[in-house]
This record gives sequence, structure tokens and C-alpha cells, in this order.
Amino acid sequence: MGLLAPLFLLGVFAVALPIWLHRLQAQSSDRKAFSSAMLLETAKQQVHVKKELKYLLLLAARILLLVLMVFAFAKPFLTVPPNAIISTASGTHLVLVDTSVSMDRAGVFSQVQAEASRAIDGAPADALIQLLSADSSMRVVTALTNDKSTSRSALGSLSASALRLDYGEVMSAVERLADSLPPPVTLHFVSDFQASAMPVRFSDVVPAGIAGFEPHVVGTGEPFNWSVDFLRDNSDGIDVGLSGFGDRERIANVDLLLNNVVVDSRGLSQTGPHVLHFDAPDYEEGENRVVLRINTDDDLRADNNRYHVVDNDPPATIPLLTLNADSLPVTYLSAALESAGDYRVEPMIIGEFDPRVLSRYRWVVIDEIGFIDQQLEQALTEFLENGGNLLAFAGDRAASLESLPVTGHRQSATSVRPQAGDFLAIGQMDVRHPVLSGTEGWQSVNVSRSLSLDVPDGDEVLIRLENNEPFLIEKRVGQGRILLMPASLDNRWNDLPVRPVFVSFIIESARYLSGVNQIPKTYIAGATLPLALTGNSSGQVVDPDGNSVLSLADTTREQQIRLNKPGFYEVYTPQGETVVAANVDPLESDLRKVSQEVLDRWQDATGGQPLAGAGSFNAEEAETVELWHWVLFLLALVVIAESILGNMHLTPRRMERA
Amino acid sequence: MSPFQASRNTARDLLRPEVLASLKNLDLVARSVVEGVMIGMHRSPKFGFSQEFAEYRSYNEGDDPRFIDWNVFARTEKTYIKRFLGDTNSHLMILLDASASMGFGGPPVSKLRYAQFLSASLAFLAARQHDAVGCMVFDEEVRDYRDPSTRSGKLQGVLHCIDSATASTGTKFDKPFSKFREQVSRRGLVAVISDFYCDIEELLAGVRPLAWHGQDVVLFQVLDKEELNPEFKSNVLLEDLETGEAIEVAPQFMRDAYPQRIRAHIDELKKAAAGIGADHVLVNTSDSLDQALRNYLLFRQRRK
Repeated sequence: MGLLAPLFLLGVFAVALPIWLHRLQAQSSDRKAFSSAMLLETAKQQVHVKKELKYLLLLAARILLLVLMVFAFAKPFLTVPPNAIISTASGTHLVLVDTSVSMDRAGVFSQVQAEASRAIDGAPADALIQLLSADSSMRVVTALTNDKSTSRSALGSLSASALRLDYGEVMSAVERLADSLPPPVTLHFVSDFQASAMPVRFSDVVPAGIAGFEPHVVGTGEPFNWSVDFLRDNSDGIDVGLSGFGDRERIANVDLLLNNVVVDSRGLSQTGPHVLHFDAPDYEEGENRVVLRINTDDDLRADNNRYHVVDNDPPATIPLLTLNADSLPVTYLSAALESAGDYRVEPMIIGEFDPRVLSRYRWVVIDEIGFIDQQLEQALTEFLENGGNLLAFAGDRAASLESLPVTGHRQSATSVRPQAGDFLAIGQMDVRHPVLSGTEGWQSVNVSRSLSLDVPDGDEVLIRLENNEPFLIEKRVGQGRILLMPASLDNRWNDLPVRPVFVSFIIESARYLSGVNQIPKTYIAGATLPLALTGNSSGQVVDPDGNSVLSLADTTREQQIRLNKPGFYEVYTPQGETVVAANVDPLESDLRKVSQEVLDRWQDATGGQPLAGAGSFNAEEAETVELWHWVLFLLALVVIAESILGNMHLTPRRMERA
Repeated sequence: MSPFQASRNTARDLLRPEVLASLKNLDLVARSVVEGVMIGMHRSPKFGFSQEFAEYRSYNEGDDPRFIDWNVFARTEKTYIKRFLGDTNSHLMILLDASASMGFGGPPVSKLRYAQFLSASLAFLAARQHDAVGCMVFDEEVRDYRDPSTRSGKLQGVLHCIDSATASTGTKFDKPFSKFREQVSRRGLVAVISDFYCDIEELLAGVRPLAWHGQDVVLFQVLDKEELNPEFKSNVLLEDLETGEAIEVAPQFMRDAYPQRIRAHIDELKKAAAGIGADHVLVNTSDSLDQALRNYLLFRQRRK
């Protein structure tokens, strides 16, 4: 039996209260017959503390009540051993098979199955056997059984994955599993024992609770393998890092494929590290699939392709509504937005702007919100309600208005402007907001003037000046949102446009308002792709083999997927389509083994480490039966008993008073 | 110490309550008390019946023939009865309160037991002087009643009536006394023996008519020493024997205020008794019984 909240046992000290109360008595315990009370006068009420206790049965009920209450709060539970686990004299033999990508070498996995089968056959007849597989995680292939044929037949279902195995992580998982198994536990590990899979600390590969460790090394012989260490695209072209393992000097050819078309090829004359540079190919507009393919007959084919995605989207057009296309705010905004290369600013004169074209854009910019007329205000409001976004600034025209169009913010009557020549600094910022989290340098901004606005509930002030007035406001209108800076960018109101933070602020605002978040395009196989980052969980993912990853139900609820295969994944979301690439972990490409010395040390260190509580079942896996329900039931019975006893004792007192 | 003094002291020791309590026979107790009292008196007390001649009157049917003056009859051939002083007190009625409060006291004797000794002694003393003796035991009702009579053997009945009284329930004076007035027509001595834990006005409502009808009323107030001078060292819960009411009292109150209250109650009772021409005698159960009786007789002598 155990307690889930043992600290509540301190409440047992509360039993002192009924014991003390039972020693108290409002009336004197000395009771005497007297001829007449006619001439007597009641003394002032006194509380007497007696040495002896009264109403012992009632006291016992009350103490029991308190103890049960404390016990119930402490949440007692019983651990019941799982029925499936049976004891055996020969203990348990775990057969752990390495299914990482390095085991995908030609002919190696058949060795794996042979070695695993040999380990199963070598186990004592009455031993319990459990087959496990491991790459980036450990999986139970068969349940505990002493039927060897079951375990052997399950070997046929195993195959190498595209994932990496870390020996430290898998041994940690084995340790947790062994904790619940009938001892002694013997571990048979069938692996190629890559040196690159060893953790930094040797102790991490030594699991506790394992009585015996038998390594089964497969893939013997000098490995030969080529792999891609990195692939980077830049404006000059594509840089690739390659490594060749093995002493044999064997030629390898490298092809660069752009959208499944070979655009360049190189030859590698010998193993070792190489860095190749490819000139920038003629990318197609949009996302380009780049593959670096190594054409060679090395031991591991799974890492011979390196997948990469190059974005070649044209800059998005951002309409900038203004009265003067040559004004300073237009210049500053255009320069900042176009510096990222993703946007192209198109100034549009407000008087000539056709509001019907708003639906073409995800968001628009306006350098002076005060110039919005009634027709444009109506169109912008409709645009916002349908999911469009607006980045707006205010100027002299807005300052003359009682309330701003579209946003509806009213100018505060208590506005206090700084004296001429004085400047206000930035006071508070919501640095968690996506617009501001990636920006730095706001403290250098000087503000000489801004509109003092009343911010209604629901609007969020992202930046406040040191006089607590809002300097950047986010307002939601329908499905859209507005980022409003109540100041002009014409150099007279503040020096923000000439500060470095202006560019990052405008770029982050553009990303935020365009609804496009930057997600990595390249992942290591086994990594998790967060679907929510792409804008919405509703969608579908197609794996490199062309199969849908998400079931119909998962398309609206799955928040992330695991990229288990190398290649290109097509991700479809309501925001659009994107492609991400997954590659084999380069660490798996290094096929060199751990030294025999390390292996011997590993074998010596593992085993003979009895686990605390070994021989019993694992408390985590054992069934836990909470007892507080029963304690509560008992408590209810005691409450009834206490009530009856208390009433019995009170009755004589009431009669006395009557 | 003279032999006489020694014998008198020995006899008085025998009349101490604790000694009398050991005597089961109330007749014997009464005799002992009366004899003890007689030893201590210089001359015979005149209790109701006086030996001094007062007047003659014609013999009427029903009069005791023993009191016919035969000398006068020889001279005049008419029957005359000699009347003596105190002849009006030739009846003694003992009204014994047997309420629960009378059960208080002791050891050695409770107030009721002491009152029974007193009643028996009075009865024996009266019978010794050939007075008619009757008794009534009461609490809230009349529990037992014996007509006054001088016939031989009646005394034993009266003593039995007294002896069989047990303390129970509360006290009321109006109803039992009302019945008593219905039973007794002749004037005489009425001895009311009680602790008188009652409202004085209520008591007077019962006793006053007796006095107005010419009865010579004596109120024997029997109290225990614990009632007169209670001693408690700590708070104590006192339970009224009649009502069952329990009151916690402080020792300071019982030491200081309560004696004053009981004394005031006694004085009020005494004053009320005097107001209706009755006597009041306070009897402490820790005193020897002869002392109590002697005090009363001396008191009566002084009144005459």
C-alpha cells in the first residue's frame, strides 16, 4: 500500500483537537444534590479542563473520523501485480534489434535476423523472451513469451528504417522496461555498433537492472560509404559537403537534380571530405526540389540522396495607399519591405484606388489613416472582416479627427505632448508578440509626437511610450487585424524610420500580416513537422512515396507529423501548398564501429547491477487501485455513528436543562 | 465532675443525632429524647397541659371522666370538670413535611429523619401529659393522616405514621393545609415541621387561617448545617432535589452570599410567623435533639 499524497498525513495531529475538547466541560464535573435551588445563583460560565476524558466511545468515533479523513486525503492505493508477468527461474531474455538506417546495408539485415534467431534459440527453454526493435525509439515487437517460434517468426516483420539510433537513448528505454520484467534480465543486442551512435557519456549505455549483456555484432568488414554532410543554396549557387568512408579508393559520381532533372554532375576520385560548388541553376518560380545524388555502389544506399527545397517565389505585391507616392513614408516603407526580397511595394494614390481590388491582397499598408474617405473605409472594413489585414500609420490629418476611420479609436482628451525639443522613449513592449519578438533596438527610438488614443477593451497595446501612451496597437476586426502606429513616418514625429529596428519591424509586421510563417524546409528523418506552423492543422501531407500521411479524421486535428522517410513531403494547408525535405541523419552514414575495447567495456559494465526492487513488479506498470473511495465510505459510516453517539450524549444534557 | 453531671452528659450524648440515627425504634428515640429533656429541666415543663387550676365547667358528654372533680360532685351532686391552664392546648397536631428537599442532609441523619425524631419526641411528650396527639405527613398532597386522640395505643399509630414518611416530590402548603383545616375543628397546638423552602406568602396562605381559627402554630424549620454554612472549594453543580434543576455555583457565592440569603430567608420567615402570632423555631440537624426540644420548651415558658 502506498500514499499518493503522504504530506496530508500531517493532518493526523488534528486528533489532538477532539481529545482536548473532550477534556473541556462547560459545567463543573462535581455534581451534588441540594435541598433547594431557590436561593442559589448561577456562577459565571467556566470551562473546566479535566484530567480524565469523557464519552470515550464518542471520542474514539471522532478520532477515527479525523484519521479516516486524513487518510482519504493522503490518497491510499494498492499496487496489484499485472497478471501477465509470470515468474521464471531463467528470467527474461530481451532480444533488441537495431533497425536504424545503417542496418540497411546490403546483406546486413539478413545477418541481423540470423543473429537474433541465434540469440532466441540460445535462451533457456523456460526463459521468457521479448523481441524489441529500436531506431529513434524502442518498440516492443512481441510480448513476453516462452514460445521461441513466435519470437523467431516476428523477426521476419522487421526491416531497417530511415531513422537514427542513439545507444544512450535505447539503453535508457531498456532500463525502464527491465524494471518491470521478471529477473534476471539478459539483453541480446543485435546491431552494427556504430561509433557515431555512442552517446557522449559512456555510462548512458549501461542500463541498470540488466544481469547479462550479449552484443551481437553484424556488418563486419571494412565499410565503404559516401554521404552528404551539407547542402546550402545561396545567391551564387549551391555548396555541397561530402564525405567518403573506407580505405578503398573508389570513384563516385555526383549528380545535381533540379525538379527531377540533372542539371550538373561531378566526379569524386577518392574517399574523404569534399566540398563542391554548383552554379545557381535556373530555378523555376515557386518551390524547387533540389536533389544531390551520389552514384556509387557503396555499402549504404539510403544516404546517397540529399534532398533540398529552394524557394523561388516572386516578391508579393503589397499595395501602399498614400496621397503622395514620393513622400518620405512611402520611401521608408518601400525600402524596408523590399529589403527582404519577398515583397514588392506598389504605391497607390488613395483618390485613384479602386477598392474592389482589395480582395486580391492579403494585407495592405496605409501611411496616413486620416485620409481614408467614407467609401474606402467601408471597403477596408469589409476587407478586414473577410480576413484581410492592415498596417496603418497616422499623421497630421488623423490628428485633426476626433476618431480614426476604420479603427474607430478616439483621441484622448488627456493627451499630453512633450515640450518642443523633448522626446519620449519607448516604455513597455510585448516582446512575446510575433511582430516584436524578432526585433531589437527600440530603446534608441525617440518620439516627439504621437496621437494619444483611447484604447478600448479587446485591443492590444504592443508598445507603450514612457508616458504610458500607446505607440503600437493591434485591433481585430472580424477575421482580420489592424496594426496601427499612431504616428507618422515623415521624420517629424519620430526617428523610427532611420533606426535599424525599423526594417526588422516592418519585415516582421509583413510576415505577421501576410499570415506566412517561415518554417524550415529541410529536416532530418525522424523529426517532427509542426502542422500548426503552416497556418492551420486542417490539411494533408503526402510522403515521398506519394501516400497520404493523415487519415481523414486526422486532417482536422493532427498538429504535427513525423517525417520517417527521406525525400520530399508535400504539405497542403488552407494557407497553401509547400514542400519540405527530409534527409537521413549524416551520423548514420559513418559506418565505422566502436572499438572492441569499448565493446568489451560495455559488456563488462552491463550486468550484475541489481535494480532496486528487482524481483518485484514495476510500480509504474502494475495496476494501481486507489482506496480513497472505500475510505470515504467508511468515513460516512463513522459520521453516522458519531452523530448517533453525540445525540445520545446530548440528550441527558438537554433533559438536565429542561 | 459529679456523678450527676457525668450521668447527664452521658444521657445527652445519647441524644446526639448520630446516636439516635442508630436507633431503629422511633418510640425508643422519643422516649430517650423526652427523658433526656426532663433530666435537664429544673422543673417539669408545661407543654400544653398545665397542672395549675383555672376554672370549673359542667361535664359534657364526651369529656374525659378522669377530669371530673369528685369532691365537688360529693358536695353538690353535680359533675364538674376541672379546667387547668393550658387546657386549650390539649391537642397536638404534627404536620410533617416529607418533600424531597427534606431528604437532604447527613450523615448521620437527613433533615427528614431529624424531623421524624422531633415529631416523635413532641408526640411522646404530649402523650406523656395526656394530650391528644395526631399527625399529618404531607408534601404536595396529604400522604398520611392520624386524628388526634388520647386513647392508649393511638400514640403507636402516630409514631408509625411519622416513621413511615419518606422524602418525595415537591412541597405545597395550600392544598394539604386546606384539607387539614377541614379535618380539625378543635383548637390546639399545631407543629409544622419543614425546611420551608417556599414562598413565604404561599406558606402564610396555608398557615394564616390556622392561626385565625385559634390554633397555636409552631413552625419548626429544620435545616442542615450544609445549608446554613455550605463549604465548597471549587465550582459545583447543585441539583435541586425537588425540581431537578441543576445550577453551577461558585465557592465564593456559597461562602459569602448564600449564608446571607438563607439568613434573610429565615428572618423573613420568623417575621412572618410573628405576624400571624405563630412561633418559629430554627432547628439545626447537627444539634442534639434534646437541645432543640429544650430550647423550644424554654421559649414557650418565656412566652407564657
